[in-house]
Amino acid sequence: MAGTQRAMTIEQSQKRFARLIALPGMVVLVLLVVGPLLYMFVNSFFLKTLATPRPPRFAWFQNYGALFSDQRFWNAFLKTMVIMVIGIPVQSVLALVIALLLNKKFPGSRIIVALFLIPVMITPVVAGFEWKIILDNRFGPLNYLLGFFGIHPQAWLAEPALAMASILIMDTWQWTPFVTLVLLAGLAAIPKQVYEAASVDGSSERETLWRVTMPLLRPVFTLVILLRIIFIFKIFDPVQILTGGGPGIATETLSLLTYIIGFKNFNVGMSATIAVVQLIVITIIAKVFISLVMNRREGRQS
Amino acid sequence: MKATELPRQEPGQHRPPAPPAQVEGLHPTALSAADLARRKRIRTLLTVLRFALIFLFLLIFLFPVYWIAVGAFKVEGEFYHYPPVFWPSHFSFENFGRGMTVFGGTQALTASLVVAVTNTVLVIVFGVLLAYSMGRFKVGGEDMSFFVLSLLFAPPVIATMPLFIIFKTLKMLDTYPVLFLSYILINMPFAVWVMKGFFEDIPHSIENAALLDGYSRFHAFRKYVLPLAVPGIAVTALFVFLFSWNEFLFALIFTRSRAQTLPITLAGMTGGHQIPWGEISALSLIAITPGVLLTLFFQKYLVRGLTFGAVKG
Repeated sequence: MAGTQRAMTIEQSQKRFARLIALPGMVVLVLLVVGPLLYMFVNSFFLKTLATPRPPRFAWFQNYGALFSDQRFWNAFLKTMVIMVIGIPVQSVLALVIALLLNKKFPGSRIIVALFLIPVMITPVVAGFEWKIILDNRFGPLNYLLGFFGIHPQAWLAEPALAMASILIMDTWQWTPFVTLVLLAGLAAIPKQVYEAASVDGSSERETLWRVTMPLLRPVFTLVILLRIIFIFKIFDPVQILTGGGPGIATETLSLLTYIIGFKNFNVGMSATIAVVQLIVITIIAKVFISLVMNRREGRQS
Repeated sequence: MKATELPRQEPGQHRPPAPPAQVEGLHPTALSAADLARRKRIRTLLTVLRFALIFLFLLIFLFPVYWIAVGAFKVEGEFYHYPPVFWPSHFSFENFGRGMTVFGGTQALTASLVVAVTNTVLVIVFGVLLAYSMGRFKVGGEDMSFFVLSLLFAPPVIATMPLFIIFKTLKMLDTYPVLFLSYILINMPFAVWVMKGFFEDIPHSIENAALLDGYSRFHAFRKYVLPLAVPGIAVTALFVFLFSWNEFLFALIFTRSRAQTLPITLAGMTGGHQIPWGEISALSLIAITPGVLLTLFFQKYLVRGLTFGAVKG
């Protein structure tokens, strides 16, 4: 009896201690999060702009209605989706090829892998500038190099479709190394014996790739695709520098549109509305992420 | 450093080896000498092809970095030259000089450093305890994890308007604090999430032993757990520093001139009627240096940091 009582107090004191040390960090986070969150939800129900002195007016779901019937919103949604639907598969395949090329160790492979990863950590604004110079229609090296293949200079950043392609090229350049890195980690985690078994069974290398490697890479692929979806929802800086969303609204992503609504049009109500919508989408993705990635990991550990 | 890197690489060797000798051993009569020679030729050819491809990919992926790096040393005319100048005739350092003075590089560099360092310290100090509490004692449970993860995933742009109004009311716009405080929102969920993983990796027996010796919980944490977590915390700090250093959106909205960080100064340089590519390249080269160094020297931790701890690497 006395023993259990004592155990309970230890548990209680541990709980108290755990809560106590969590407090400072929680307070900081909550201060920074709760205020903006409340502000957002409240303002999404108001017609309110900083552009006119008119007082804010409560309007129920009018902002949401306006947002969902706004073609510019759907354009931004579509453009964000295009980056995901084209960018992620292209980057995955490219990264898989590179990861398989780099997977077998050779002298200096560590340096090669490190060099490959440089684009990941490049300041996004600089990434935008790099491609702005490279894609320049008159003096850029890309058009010059394409000239050798008989391709006429392209107005990369002036044609809507090409501008979108430019964004995709830039995104692929910056993020393929990241996907490669994750896939390399995934490949490294596959036990040697699996391959030995496959080779004893007489599988060819191609069979081994499709029957053994690919299925075992599925969890890492799930992870990396989810992360890329999340990152693309956030994409702002390099697009702002490279195209500024243009020409017109051809490359305007959701983050860019949110910024424009807030800080070019000063429409507080609408910017809150689009923020709430994105928050809901991201919450769903976070749920999916937890159930697909985190729980799987926890399950394996226990 | 070297010793810790080995385990990551060793598993890399385990592609199906299938050396001719082994195949021969399995099917002694199946392959003639000619077949073997042919196989060997194909294998050599494949190896050559593999390295050629690696080289090609490396060339493509490093070219943009090369272009901006070499651009930093070009003279202005070389940016408006056809065909493009792949290697400048002589290396000039004028771009750095003008970039730092005329275009406000020095002031931007100072701001970037002050903001990134202060933010890193704040995030780590507040984050470590929260991460330990969550990782070791599961404070807040699943809900807490979900909260932090949602913050980590949410596009920062959605917080800009409310924060702008708050900081405007507090008359804090265009100061260093507005940046190093608002960056907590971006970096703390990351730091907490990643460090939580590091603390989960430390066996409970460490603290239990200290507790049995009569140390207080806090003492056990500070003297026994924290030292073990230092490498992880240090790497997390490097990431946080880099995220602050690279940050653009908040700085774009919350600063005007005095507290402008390097990315904002860079972005502002395109305003004139002729873009000063030389100076942009020079300041860009400075801006990317920390990231490049982190990639080259902390490659081992990159996968864990960038996947928010989901892949241990």
